[in-house]
Amino acid sequence: MSEASKRADVSEKPPNWILQHPAYQQMKSLELEDSAQVHAAFLVHMDLTEVRQWKEVSCVKSPELQVILLEGREKEGAPVQTVLPLPAHRSLSHRSIRHVLDRGFPMLLCAVASDSTLVYQRMTDGLVTPDPPAGPFQDLGRRQHRKRRQKH
Amino acid sequence: MDGRPSSAVVGVSLCDSAPLLWRVEDLRTVRSQGLVGALLGSLPRTPRQNVRLGRPMLLLPEEERLLTERHAAAAAPGDQDGGGVELRLQVQQHREDQQRSYEEQSVLALEDRKSALLRAMTSSHTESGARAEDEALQGRLEALDRSFTLPSSALAVQLSTARAGLSYCPEARDFLRADRPIRGQDELSCHASRYQVFRDLRGRGFYLTSAGKFGGDFLVYPGDPLRFHAHFISVCLSLDESVCLLDVLAVSRLGSNVKKTVLLCSPGTDGRVLYTSLQWSGMV
Repeated sequence: MSEASKRADVSEKPPNWILQHPAYQQMKSLELEDSAQVHAAFLVHMDLTEVRQWKEVSCVKSPELQVILLEGREKEGAPVQTVLPLPAHRSLSHRSIRHVLDRGFPMLLCAVASDSTLVYQRMTDGLVTPDPPAGPFQDLGRRQHRKRRQKH
Repeated sequence: MDGRPSSAVVGVSLCDSAPLLWRVEDLRTVRSQGLVGALLGSLPRTPRQNVRLGRPMLLLPEEERLLTERHAAAAAPGDQDGGGVELRLQVQQHREDQQRSYEEQSVLALEDRKSALLRAMTSSHTESGARAEDEALQGRLEALDRSFTLPSSALAVQLSTARAGLSYCPEARDFLRADRPIRGQDELSCHASRYQVFRDLRGRGFYLTSAGKFGGDFLVYPGDPLRFHAHFISVCLSLDESVCLLDVLAVSRLGSNVKKTVLLCSPGTDGRVLYTSLQWSGMV
């Protein structure tokens, strides 16, 4: 009986639960005009805190870019990272990316699609060599050519 | 023998504004300066494949500009109008040769068809209708004589695989001086940011080639491309240029699929170039 009523409670969440969420209201208080970006920032905030269990997630306003940035740690004691949430159809300049990088923390760009899909991109200053292909490597020798010939 | 000076000058031939190198020494010189270029020509003995290509070598606009700035490139001699008359004569000669070959082959082809027709008709010969068949055969042979033409697409053309005296690239040693300009200053179609990035990365010892296949500006190799895979796909843009977020995602995804880091490169103030590495975050 109690479970049923609990379930009923969950399904009876008010339709504007986002507007009443404390994190959202905190972002609203930063007084940004770009409500789409605020909404994106909120979705990323929920993903980081509830889904990925990041610690000490907070929001901060960037006056130069006029956006909300999120900061947090992946785990207890991990270094702080900056996340730039943006709606997916937006454009941005290299200068604004450098601006966020200049804060000095590892940076993630998060693109928020209209269906709330989130895609994270790591951005780093400088030239980061890619990971080499994973071994073990086997010298195929003539075997591959022989296989191809047989196909014809 | 007169040795080539260590700071050799390469002769660049312009083909409709594409800068080409034809001489082997020039290709070697250019490679020794860390510029890769792109081979365009087909090898006569291994045609119909593009895994191994031959001369000429096409230079990137940035490579041409770098060579020009180092005073290491000049307009190739014999590239001027003097060569034009000779070329026209050669084309004329070639056309005449083709025409003669066509006429000879037409005659041979007609004879071939006639003998094939004869074989076909006489093989189905029966005793009783001999005369009627003979008349039919004559009629068909005459019709063939009147109406047969060899289609030009069926023409057999001989290609020489050895030099045979054709010399588009005189090997005569010519002392090239770098004060002969290749083209007018304003003709160089080098975007400023691309060139700055190219020069900076080359200065750091990287080798660069065109990255059209990957939707970027340059492929950046830590050493000679014959020995290494590219590490980076360089996308050149100015600091204030606006790019669509979806394009950033697309190029980054492509980069991670081919195990290369995407580099956003912008010339900054005071001549430095700013690089931002884009990597797939791996957060699923």
